[in-house]
Amino acid sequence: MRQRPTAATVLAAFCAALLGSGAAAVAKDLPRREVRDLHYGDVLFQFFQDDYFDAVVRLEAARDFGRLPNHAAEAELLAGGMYLSLGLHAEADRIFNRLLAGSLDSSVADRALFYLARIGYQRGHDEQAARNLARIQGPLPGELEPERRLLESNVLMALGRYADAAAALRVWDDESSWAAFARFNLGVALVRSGDAAQGRMLLESVGSAPAVSEEERSLRDRANLALGFALLQERSGEAAAAALSRVRLDGPFTNRALLGLGWAETDAGRHDRALVPWLALRDRPLLDSSVQESLLAVPYAYARLASNGQAAQHYRQAVQSYLRESGRIDESIAAIQRGGFLDAILASSPRGGDVGWFWQLKQVPDAPHTRYLYHLLASHEFQEGLKNYRDLRIMQVNLERWQDSLDSFDDMIAARTRALAEREPRKADMLGRTDVEALATRQAGLAARVAAIEAARDVAAVASGDEARQWRTLQGVEQRVAALPPGPGREALADRVRMLRGALTWQMDAQYKRRLQLVKRGLAEVHAQLGEARGRVGLVHEASAQAPLDTTGFAARIAELRSRIARIGPGIDAATRAQESVLQTLAVHELAAQKRRLASYATQAQFALAAIYDGAAAKVGP
Amino acid sequence: MSRRIPAAARRAAILVAALALASVAAGAPASGEATQADGVDRDVQTLKKELVDLNKDLFKLEEELLYPASTQVAVFLSVDVGTFFALDSVTLKVDDKEVTNYLYTEREVQALHRGGVQRLYLGSLKAGEHELVALFTGKGPHERDYRRGTTLRIAKGVGASYIELKISDRVASLQPEFVVKVWE
Repeated sequence: MRQRPTAATVLAAFCAALLGSGAAAVAKDLPRREVRDLHYGDVLFQFFQDDYFDAVVRLEAARDFGRLPNHAAEAELLAGGMYLSLGLHAEADRIFNRLLAGSLDSSVADRALFYLARIGYQRGHDEQAARNLARIQGPLPGELEPERRLLESNVLMALGRYADAAAALRVWDDESSWAAFARFNLGVALVRSGDAAQGRMLLESVGSAPAVSEEERSLRDRANLALGFALLQERSGEAAAAALSRVRLDGPFTNRALLGLGWAETDAGRHDRALVPWLALRDRPLLDSSVQESLLAVPYAYARLASNGQAAQHYRQAVQSYLRESGRIDESIAAIQRGGFLDAILASSPRGGDVGWFWQLKQVPDAPHTRYLYHLLASHEFQEGLKNYRDLRIMQVNLERWQDSLDSFDDMIAARTRALAEREPRKADMLGRTDVEALATRQAGLAARVAAIEAARDVAAVASGDEARQWRTLQGVEQRVAALPPGPGREALADRVRMLRGALTWQMDAQYKRRLQLVKRGLAEVHAQLGEARGRVGLVHEASAQAPLDTTGFAARIAELRSRIARIGPGIDAATRAQESVLQTLAVHELAAQKRRLASYATQAQFALAAIYDGAAAKVGP
Repeated sequence: MSRRIPAAARRAAILVAALALASVAAGAPASGEATQADGVDRDVQTLKKELVDLNKDLFKLEEELLYPASTQVAVFLSVDVGTFFALDSVTLKVDDKEVTNYLYTEREVQALHRGGVQRLYLGSLKAGEHELVALFTGKGPHERDYRRGTTLRIAKGVGASYIELKISDRVASLQPEFVVKVWE
């Protein structure tokens, strides 16, 4: 992980902010694209609200369900960005490398390379970052392109390639805030590397540029502050004073600028004018290192102006102030060592997904355990640790919620099992009374009979009720006529019966085709209904077999998830304790350093006081 | 005209600018502390990944248990342009029964405008005919209170049904339009 100098100033708190939160934020600047899978849009809905955890969970679930077929590469890129935001660098790295290995789409590959370069830079792997940046083929979409350029210049500077960084900046000819930030970074880096002239030129250009927005004004202040101190190092007091005077009086860099302004005036030999900014500083809260320094600077100026009485008085006040502050630091160290200070901090911090909540910690109450918190945040390690600690506490709450949900799921499974058991007798009774196959046999018998009727053209077999009755009557009459003694009377009756038979047969024959069709259609319908019934019975059997498997399956999944919760829970508890211990150590380390600095200032004040007394004694001496 | 830079990126942008050109720099933490912090960070990363995986599996279980695919109905809400309508709330009724009444925060509205799609409702319906009614309230053109409803009849079959309610602009009449789309 990239290490930076930790400065116990509010100023440095702004510098030291975050590693790893930017990727997702930048991903948001990508142009809006049409959502072709609703569940991808659902992920974006959470993502755009900075709820990266929920968004990444939904994304992973949607992928498992196969619901993102049209956004596979985008989803992978988004997942990588979100893992990066959640501090999962290793996972993000793995994803971007996988994307890079598999993607034929150059825009996806370019973005993966950009993120990999960003991770590399954040981890101090500058050569690797430079290689990945060099492989990017085309301009990146939206706001990613200026950020790529900024990253490129940062990486080149980290590699000590200031000339290359300057060359890259020269071809970046737009006047965006991004370019101004890059010029500022390079200006500072050049001054530090020894090329003061070019560094000052860059800082001068940023420090005198028009500023409209708060971020622009803040950047201008930083540039003037850096320029002022660079000039002070070169003993150019006049120019330094001019630069430092441009820093706003109500910004986060005011204290540092006032201190520097005093030294610039001193450098120019104007000790009386040096007192103006330093006296303004000494009334400010003593938490700030510039204010602490001003307590020594004020009597120094008085001494240089030969006002030894006032100098002595201010040195005495300084010693008292340092001791008082040192005592307050002791209280804070004791409070932090008692533990629980992080929970007090988090209790007063707002809920939110991004690192923005850090800056709102400025509002924490002035209690011993929180008094120096904002200054501790100047340390990147403390910030990262506090973020981890907060994440761990959120994770604990998350697990507790799921634990409750699993209990409800258990109840649900138990209720389903009971309902199944209750339904079983009714189901068995219903199925016992339903013999679909017997019905099918009957239907088949009917179908065979109809086939025989059709084959024999047995018109009487499909006669109407009246016709069938008349047909039977006629058959009875026919038999009775046949039983009569032969003679003219029987013949006459037989003729009449034949005539009636012919008429009835003609009548039935006329209707035969239609009637047969009706019968066949009815049979077909019965056949279809039988098939449907057979299917339904099958579904009932299937559901009966599946339901216990489903409930057993769900129960097994619940048991497995419960065991995972049981395993992760203590891991989170242990990591929380370890994280708290790390932060305690860091905080105590930082506060102890502050104490040492105060002790050193107090000693300097006492020596100076002694020197004044010695001087005074020498004057009145023999 | 300068473009605005996201706050997070802005802070990251000055990482290298250790403007403590003359600052009172405290020492970096001792290497032992750094190692301990790195170890904890690795543990936290591992735990976070396990927690993401766990949440994913719990999320899936919850959905499969409560809303099986055979009966599942999901209603989504999206905004396409949406110049003529500022969304305040949506009420959704299924078969004349109110199933959700959602009030939107500014943050959520912004997320919708940027392309997010909200899963407004997830439920279960038996196979057959059903009626969905969505009522949108908000501000229409000229800041006037605006309330519109849209109705959809669906024939629910076996398998999940996804329905999208889309708020878009009807440019010709300078009025908002509420479109319902059933996804296959």
